[in-house]
Amino acid sequence: RQRIRSQNIVPCTVSQLLAAEQVDETFRIRDVEISQVTVMGIVRHAEKAPTNILYKVDDMTAAPMDVRQWVDTDEAGGENVVVPPGTYVKVAGHLRSFQNKKSLVAFKIMPLENMNEFTTHILEIVNAHMILRKNLMSASRVPQSFSSAGISDMGGYGGGGSLPVNGLTAHQSQVLSLIKNCPVPEGMSLQELKLQLHNMSMSTIKQAVEFLSSEGHIYSTVDDDHYKSTDAE
Amino acid sequence: MADVHEVPRPRIATGHLAQHIGRPVCFVGRVEKIHPTGKLFILSDGEGKHTTVELSEPLEEEISGVVEVVGTVTNQATIMCVSYVQFREDKSPFDLEIYNEALKVIHEFPEYFPFG
Repeated sequence: RQRIRSQNIVPCTVSQLLAAEQVDETFRIRDVEISQVTVMGIVRHAEKAPTNILYKVDDMTAAPMDVRQWVDTDEAGGENVVVPPGTYVKVAGHLRSFQNKKSLVAFKIMPLENMNEFTTHILEIVNAHMILRKNLMSASRVPQSFSSAGISDMGGYGGGGSLPVNGLTAHQSQVLSLIKNCPVPEGMSLQELKLQLHNMSMSTIKQAVEFLSSEGHIYSTVDDDHYKSTDAE
Repeated sequence: MADVHEVPRPRIATGHLAQHIGRPVCFVGRVEKIHPTGKLFILSDGEGKHTTVELSEPLEEEISGVVEVVGTVTNQATIMCVSYVQFREDKSPFDLEIYNEALKVIHEFPEYFPFG
């Protein structure tokens, strides 16, 4: 299975985190691997313990999520201020699952000072998950190959490109197409081909005819200047 | 009645009220008018369309600016408010029009912004 790891920190909704599937040590949201995430929501509950602060953060997409922030008890004077309920916050942290219950371990919790950041965040969520999903899809897609089945003449193909389709170059396809569509019993003459294919020199036409003939697409009729297609009408 | 804060509450604008009758929603709008009884106020969304918000108990404070309401949509397409929060605008004004555009995006791509 294709493994696309996001090295970045991925903005998510609480609902996405709750729906994330855990496989061994990793979490996936719709097959996209995630680890570090950001969420934005309103603090509904805050509980201070000696070693950590437990918040419940609500972004309306599901029930509020448990967010734990570890307090460094050794840090002199570094007392974590508890963010009061009713405050919109931005949380950056790691997704955890314990006894089937998801939570976040935050390395950063900051009150939002500008609520427009919240609008940006919801757009960033859509953008990030869309891009991650697209990358996942394109990485697993088999490279396009030109299949010979079902592709008929390239009548509309302009220019002298050399990209082979059907094993035929554009020039060869054009020549074959004209010969195929010629209703005359003795087939198409080289002169007739030259008249129709203004952009091709006689030598190019002859080369194409030689190749098509050796491949069995056409055969000469009354003389070496007249050819018909081997395809049944 | 189950606690409305424990379930998904789709973010909607006035135009979506009809599709959410009877369901919990989250509505962000600007305070236009407060009824003298304090049990009703009108919010306008990012397109200027009005929504009526009802309260079971009268407001205990003056509200103004942009407010985010959590509640259930009534049969009359008003919102029965369970809780509300005033968006802080002390540092920067909130762009309600852009928020409305963002709502259109999340409604268009529910697979990337699921409610529930």
